[in-house]
Amino acid sequence: MTTTAPSHATAASRGAARSGRAVAHGSRKAARRRQLAAAGVLMTPFFLLLLTVFLIPVGTAVGLSFFSDDQPGLGFGPERTVFVGLRSYAAVLTDPTFLSGLGTVALYCLIYIPLMVIGALALALLLDSGVVRLRSWAQLGLFLPHAVPGIIAALIWLYLYTPGISPVIELLGKADITIDFLGVHTVLPSIVNIALWSNLGYNMVVFYAALQAVPREVIEASVVDGAGPVRTALLVKTPLVRSSIVMVAMFTLIWALQLFTEPMLLSQSSPMINSRFSPSMYIYDAAFTRNNYSLAAAASVVLLICTIALSYGVTRWTSRAGSAEEATR
Amino acid sequence: MPGRQSRRSVLAAITALPLTGAVGACSTSDGNGRSRSTSRTTRITFWSALRGSQEVVDAFNRTHDRIQVDFQQIPSGGQGGYAKLSNAARAGNAPDVATIEYPQVPGFAIDGVARDITSLVSDRLRAKLLPQALGLTTFQGRQYSVPLDVEPMVMHYRTDLFDEYGLEVPRTWDEFAETARTVRRKAGDRRLVLFPTDGAMQFAAYSWQAGAQWFDTRDGAWNVSLADEPTRRVAAYWQRLVDDDVVFMNAVESRQSDAQIGEGLVLTRLSGAWDAGAQMNARPAQKGQWKIAPLPQWDPDRPVVGTHGGSTFAVTKDSKHPEAAMEFIEWQVSHPDALRARLSSGTSSQYPAAPDLVAVGRKAFDRSYYGGQDIYTLFEEQAAAIRDGWVWGPRMTATQRVMQDGFARASGGQGSLIGSVRAAQDGTMPDLKALGLSTTEHST
Repeated sequence: MTTTAPSHATAASRGAARSGRAVAHGSRKAARRRQLAAAGVLMTPFFLLLLTVFLIPVGTAVGLSFFSDDQPGLGFGPERTVFVGLRSYAAVLTDPTFLSGLGTVALYCLIYIPLMVIGALALALLLDSGVVRLRSWAQLGLFLPHAVPGIIAALIWLYLYTPGISPVIELLGKADITIDFLGVHTVLPSIVNIALWSNLGYNMVVFYAALQAVPREVIEASVVDGAGPVRTALLVKTPLVRSSIVMVAMFTLIWALQLFTEPMLLSQSSPMINSRFSPSMYIYDAAFTRNNYSLAAAASVVLLICTIALSYGVTRWTSRAGSAEEATR
Repeated sequence: MPGRQSRRSVLAAITALPLTGAVGACSTSDGNGRSRSTSRTTRITFWSALRGSQEVVDAFNRTHDRIQVDFQQIPSGGQGGYAKLSNAARAGNAPDVATIEYPQVPGFAIDGVARDITSLVSDRLRAKLLPQALGLTTFQGRQYSVPLDVEPMVMHYRTDLFDEYGLEVPRTWDEFAETARTVRRKAGDRRLVLFPTDGAMQFAAYSWQAGAQWFDTRDGAWNVSLADEPTRRVAAYWQRLVDDDVVFMNAVESRQSDAQIGEGLVLTRLSGAWDAGAQMNARPAQKGQWKIAPLPQWDPDRPVVGTHGGSTFAVTKDSKHPEAAMEFIEWQVSHPDALRARLSSGTSSQYPAAPDLVAVGRKAFDRSYYGGQDIYTLFEEQAAAIRDGWVWGPRMTATQRVMQDGFARASGGQGSLIGSVRAAQDGTMPDLKALGLSTTEHST
């Protein structure tokens, strides 16, 4: 996706330039103005959406986080809205339950992201290598879970995880294996499993599409040079779809940091998932059970900053790694 | 982006839930002209999750023509009732009268949802109510709600099983622990009692009885000391019973607990007086098998108890007719007809906060389930023993949840009871600080 986008853009501008030359008699300025107008019209929807669904909410959250309805002392009596500076941030950052939520999500990312990227890539390489028969059926089967809405997926898995109603646990029980999918140590892997099930197929399709763009000559050359299918996959194809890997890792990271639906639903039947299990659940709990909107807003801003910082970190790290690799070539 | 949209829509759906509640409230109060007074009658709105409320409201409306009450049954607090009330108040259309349990009174008072009703409450009404109950609704000399019932913690026990195993009703906690070991020895699959992992309020009642003071408001600040000496003693006591596997440890609001009671696996239930009615309603087949005794004591010469459950009525900030609202509240908490109507629903064994009504309750309550035992007289003695001076904190729902999260982990073998209590304090302080309250922390 990201690899093809710039070439499209240059092709388009080249086309525009060519047509500009074709009407060389007309004023260049008019053409330029028309171009600008077109760009403006085409980009307006994006900026409108950016403004309404991102900038305004973020601005509101930042604003909320700096104000609070206060009544000093015990807090009884009439309240007034006052500027409280960084008080809510100090409260969030010293709240052990918020920090443990961040820890939980960090652990979740460490388990989930590598599994997701490696799993999806491996499946895509298998499909691409032609080992798999009925390729389109396999693709469909793997992609189908992604079409199931996240909340339905969580409900299905809730059913499969809950002792007493789950056929899986019953079957395992017959084989004398007792497993509690919602226990202290198993609950996080259980959530990872749901997320993998939902999203593996989607990311596999992304990788598969990228692999289709790998020039056949390169593959043929590697075969001629004596590389077997495994070496071709790992040393030739994988480096060529690097940018897709980075993109998938980044989107998965952003998505994982907002962990909410699965634990929220599973918390119905597992006491191991508390009401502040992940930062998003903490925010929800702060706003709607604790009625502490400035705390919720401050926590949201902290989560947003973490997300931006990590995404930026991933981009910087991969681009530096990429240029280093290029330099050694 | 995988899953992005579904995540948003879920969030939207969940956040919309309380909002639809608020919108619904808006349309009933404005759209139908409710909550607006005509020249003759004043209409007020009333929200409650308490069973038997409809019967009480009907009885009130039959006997009053100047004030008429529109009642709406809402989910219980933990099931979304409190979120609904908060959101309605935020939107400016809270009902005239709302039902708030004792632990949540300070929170709603601080948020400005419950109105300062000090000047509205007549001295006559105040004199009718149990002082310990009034104390729980009064802060810095200002009253924020009116107690309906007060529920001393008692011990419900299986007489038939006590006879079968030759057990005596334990009077002290030492005897109770001894009895628990005996039950474990004589009947392997049965236990004397359940330590509920979702029972922060039960644990609070044990601590209250033992002399703990989780919160106090000395010197104009919230002084928080969840893990004080009496609480540590209570936690250590239960921790031993749990470690020795002589009590069950799971959630009480669960099918597992239902089964434990239904199949006679658990011999006692430690809960508020109200639970006698809930039990009658839930398990009619166990008629005649249960009796009620006082909660075991640390010092039997000076018996004290804490409370478990109990509700109050608040006039909200949005009420346009606070006087009418207060008249309805006064009738509900102090008029014999109100208690009769509530008990007529057959699901309540509420112990009224107005001692004058106890005789009414004694007469109206059907004793057959408890083998003719006069439970109201027992409740009366226990209510008199409620230790005065307990104060609930400003964010009790959250404190309770964090504690219960810890209890649940402890039941899975991670952490301890006292660790859960400390975690609850640590998880509460940031909230109080973010609310701008003066706080101090004590005890570790």
